[in-house]
Amino acid sequence: MNGERAERPGVAGLVARGVVIGAIGALVLSLNVLLGYTGQISLGHQAFVGIGAFTSAYMVTVHGQPFVAAVGMAMVVGGLQALLLGVVSLRVTGLYFALVTLAYGTMAEESLFNIQALTGGSAGQPAPKPMGFTTDLRYYYLCLAFLAAVVWVDWRLMKTKGGRALLAVRENPRVAATFGANVKVYTLMAFVVAGVFAGLGGALLAHNDTFVVRDLFNFQLALVFVIMTVIGGLRNRTGVVIGSAFFSLVGYFFDKLTSGGLNVPGLKVLPKEYVPIVIGPLLLLFTLTRHPGGVGQQIRPVQRWLRGGRFSFKDTHDAAILRGGERVSDVRA
Amino acid sequence: MVASGQKQALVIGVITGAGYGLVALGLVLIYKSSGVFNFAQGEFGTVAVYTLYRVHDRIGVPLVPAVAIGLAAAVAMALATERVVIRPLFDAPRVTLLVATAGVSLLAISLELWLGEARLRFIQPALSRLDRVSVFGVQVSDQRLLVLAALVMLAVLLALFFSRTNLGLAILGVSQEPVATELMGISVRRLSSFIWGLAGLLAGIAGMLTAPVVGSFGPGFLTFNSLIPAFTAAVLGGMNSLPGAFVGGVVVGVAQSLAVSAPAFHGIPGAGSVMVFVLLVAVLTVRPHGLMGKA
Repeated sequence: MNGERAERPGVAGLVARGVVIGAIGALVLSLNVLLGYTGQISLGHQAFVGIGAFTSAYMVTVHGQPFVAAVGMAMVVGGLQALLLGVVSLRVTGLYFALVTLAYGTMAEESLFNIQALTGGSAGQPAPKPMGFTTDLRYYYLCLAFLAAVVWVDWRLMKTKGGRALLAVRENPRVAATFGANVKVYTLMAFVVAGVFAGLGGALLAHNDTFVVRDLFNFQLALVFVIMTVIGGLRNRTGVVIGSAFFSLVGYFFDKLTSGGLNVPGLKVLPKEYVPIVIGPLLLLFTLTRHPGGVGQQIRPVQRWLRGGRFSFKDTHDAAILRGGERVSDVRA
Repeated sequence: MVASGQKQALVIGVITGAGYGLVALGLVLIYKSSGVFNFAQGEFGTVAVYTLYRVHDRIGVPLVPAVAIGLAAAVAMALATERVVIRPLFDAPRVTLLVATAGVSLLAISLELWLGEARLRFIQPALSRLDRVSVFGVQVSDQRLLVLAALVMLAVLLALFFSRTNLGLAILGVSQEPVATELMGISVRRLSSFIWGLAGLLAGIAGMLTAPVVGSFGPGFLTFNSLIPAFTAAVLGGMNSLPGAFVGGVVVGVAQSLAVSAPAFHGIPGAGSVMVFVLLVAVLTVRPHGLMGKA
């Protein structure tokens, strides 16, 4: 019965894109952990995602493992590589850390993803959908379930002692350190959590496409994740999920719009695969310079109201964070 | 056989590295004046090359004015970035600025992808005869020699600019001690625009000199080819020394070229980028103030 619904062209297309919401939502939350909670930025997330995707595909295709084991393995490998990279590079923070992750991403892209035995080289690696979830719609629900799990874990984690320590570290690493929070260990922890989420997201993406090709995991992809996180609004889970959903669907709707007759004469119509990377940076720059809180800031009044608070547009804290000079996030090593 | 191969790699490394150094110069200039890691630096250069290509090969403007138009495009893009993105975010944390410049870079890449249809374009060499000249027993194409000559000339001009002209000295002053420079009656704001323009110009030249060495260019080619090596070069120079950045570029170029050609690394895909990553992490862990910078 679900299959029947999925066969209607409009809905099917929407679902195919919608799957991506679940997977990408997890990925973007992963970046949110890092950027939002520790103030560190990863520009090499394509490596994290790619490693998750290839691990899962490798486990299923080469070793014949079940889907759950493969996804678990992708998360473990994702966490491990984050741990390794973090141990080596988290002695530098801020701009320099961003630089190291950028170099790491490029290295993975040019080196790791070209190891024939693991990734199938340029031919790619098949990654079939799991048993019982072979239709787009069912797989979509599976992804949503995973996304819900990630949101829940993220929410619970931030309520632990470690989570509170992370918030303290973000506000001011030096003050946090004087209160006994081990800044380095907590930042590393956040990095590993980000790695685990990214591994999961990569695995989900891989099985959605049923085929993993290395060319998917490039620098543009890493930047689009950063853009989604920032536009969604740092540290606002709902905002971040809305941001990733928007980017998963914007290409689809733009395509519908242009094929539905919108055509500017003399201007080449933007193909839908380019929509996120053309509109994304524009929105990013607009967000950064005009609405630093992103979507999260816009929906905050509603969230407050839902929790029983007053509905008001006055925003106190978050708008200041991206703009404000209160944070010491660019301390040189 | 191996020895001559290594020597060949060395010479090629120096030439590619000088290109990295040129990009790195712009990075250091901007970092010193605005405190920004400018991820759009590579794109300034790519835009220059694309403009040159459009104007020269499509419209048929002769080479010299076309080069000037290409460089003007790079400078214009750099100035626009400074005015539209950097200035409004002047008080924002540095990481936010980094994200913003990365956004500019992605925007440029995607526009190139969209308008240029993701194709690689091949470049006709400025010297049509592909002669190989022997330098120290190494065969080098004269195209590369031309690039090297241009780079050396540019390095000398830059050195003269920074040591002899008032403007150059003012820039050095701003980058070392902005408050004192302001007190001396120099407008730091106005110099900031000038520095971004200069960085754009350097990136444009770097792009135009790198493209013929690589032989082709596609969307974002200077970003993908040179941005990370150039950052590594700048870090090698301590992020604050202009000669250090240029020398760092040559070091990175040589290391990368040796890694690619060394027999020990055969069969490792992407040995060059592994080398750059290792170099970057090693410098940041062992000597975070760079090889020449002061601690």
